[in-house]
Amino acid sequence: MEQMTSKQRFLAGLYGDPVDRPPAASIVSVITYELMDITGAHFPHANIEPEPMATLAAGAHEVMGFDSVMPIFSIAQEATALGCQVDWSDTDMMPNPTDSPWADRDVEIKLPDGFPDSFLEDKYVKCAIDAIRLLKQHFGDEVMVLGKVMGPWTLSYHCYNTQEFLFDTIMDPDRVRKSLETLAPVPLAYAAAQIEAGADAIVWADHATGDLVRNTMYRDYLLPHHQELIPQVEAPVILHCCGKTLDRVQYFSEAGFTCYHFESANPPDEMVEKAAGKMKLTGNVNNPVTLYARGPDEARAEAQAAIDAGVDIIAPECAVPLQAPVANLQAIVQTCKDNRHQ
Amino acid sequence: MSREEEIKKGLFDHTLVGEADEVVELTQEGIDLGMDPLDILFGALIPSLQEVGRLFEIGEYFVPEMLVAARAMQGAMALLRPLLVDKGAEPIGKVVMLTVKGDVHDIGKNLCNIMLEGEGFDIVDLGVNVKPEEVVAAVQEHQPQLLGFSAFLTTTMPFFKSNLAALSEAGLRDSVKVMVGGAPVTPEYADSVGADGFAPDASAAVRLAKKLMVDMGYDVSMGGDDSEGASALTTAVQAVEELMVKSGKHDE
Repeated sequence: MEQMTSKQRFLAGLYGDPVDRPPAASIVSVITYELMDITGAHFPHANIEPEPMATLAAGAHEVMGFDSVMPIFSIAQEATALGCQVDWSDTDMMPNPTDSPWADRDVEIKLPDGFPDSFLEDKYVKCAIDAIRLLKQHFGDEVMVLGKVMGPWTLSYHCYNTQEFLFDTIMDPDRVRKSLETLAPVPLAYAAAQIEAGADAIVWADHATGDLVRNTMYRDYLLPHHQELIPQVEAPVILHCCGKTLDRVQYFSEAGFTCYHFESANPPDEMVEKAAGKMKLTGNVNNPVTLYARGPDEARAEAQAAIDAGVDIIAPECAVPLQAPVANLQAIVQTCKDNRHQ
Repeated sequence: MSREEEIKKGLFDHTLVGEADEVVELTQEGIDLGMDPLDILFGALIPSLQEVGRLFEIGEYFVPEMLVAARAMQGAMALLRPLLVDKGAEPIGKVVMLTVKGDVHDIGKNLCNIMLEGEGFDIVDLGVNVKPEEVVAAVQEHQPQLLGFSAFLTTTMPFFKSNLAALSEAGLRDSVKVMVGGAPVTPEYADSVGADGFAPDASAAVRLAKKLMVDMGYDVSMGGDDSEGASALTTAVQAVEELMVKSGKHDE
């Protein structure tokens, strides 16, 4: 089969079309300290300024060889624009929201005044959109440019406080529903802006994970929102949800996602069996043990296991630890190249 | 079944499903009837919390169910606390608990604190986003037998290793046993970074902590006389109240 461009390969994997070899992707974040040194784009600048953000993201393709690039490394862009406190200054860790405006039950659950314009003009939100624009200009149609948004469940963790939100899933369902309904327009607006800037697909992170809540929480609270929201996104949408999720993949597949990015807590063959014919899959090379603590041989073995199981796009399972060696990530790509179809 | 037995059964059942009003009412009735506060605690509330932990371990319960049970217990603690006479018994061990640098997730750590304190451990909670140098300083200051590291993100788990390296550099690694846990953490990962043990949840953390204490030659038996029970009650009250305060303030 003729050699495909990275974007052609990724899209073919996403839609189940023939590929010259399995796509290898940066779905969430493959950024590492070593990649920062190679590209010259470091934290915190690469989280808050478009040019270094795009430069670092481009390293996923230009240094590691992945078929996609994705410049939104942390989970905090939307959170700041929605009123959460985030420390963006650290040079050696991902930014995280540290304060939740709706944790105070006397505070009304509502979006900031002027949404969506004020949201899209927020410094950190705009930075990511501009970085996507730069990546699109740089790569054109050669490489898949991914955007990333947080869905209403994950935004609720940030705005409402994770512990309070989980508590209220049982004790105050109306307030939980209010939070989800209020936040639902945020990923839609952010995704539309990213697509306008050049994103070829959107990663939608919504962590209703089996590590925290039972599968019926996803079905009853979040699935109706996903079913309403996802068809409105004018690009393929890849769901990211960490942890054990085999018991809710059926529900994910009813939400309209094109693809699901899953973790190593779920054996790839079992995940493929659950998702077969319903949505495509990407994943699931283990981060903390394999990509961080082990070597290229182990990374190759796990990537091969995912290929053999029938995973459509091969990728690390979640945001890669910053300390992981670049060679381990390159090993994933090399494994995909070694599986070139004749 | 006597009314006292019915009350204990009711406390167990209502705590299990987080029915706070019923737990408070039954606790007050038990006090009015002259029931021993320690019997209410160890005959009903602590066993219910242990059952919550067991149900979590086998996948019947998830985090929300654990949170509502802990909060239901808090109402009972508010009534029992004034009746407590702390006779000054020594805790069975000291544990410094923390969520690692870069990570602000503390629900799992807080639940571990409750279970550990309920079992008689003295807990020093360093909170979230704790830097390696702060870990070293805390070990020097508090001299615990055990250290507990929690991480919820695959991006922050490597700080287990950073913390252990910092302890080694400070010459403190052999002075404490280190337990690690968190949603993405595996026994294999715990081994790879050189931790002394891994616990997947709060109940397992209690078992691991006791095992490590025994390995170090400590006696971890407790219960029996009132002084030890009273100490456990104190720590359980403090732990539940601490969780409730934190749940309102999120990451401190």
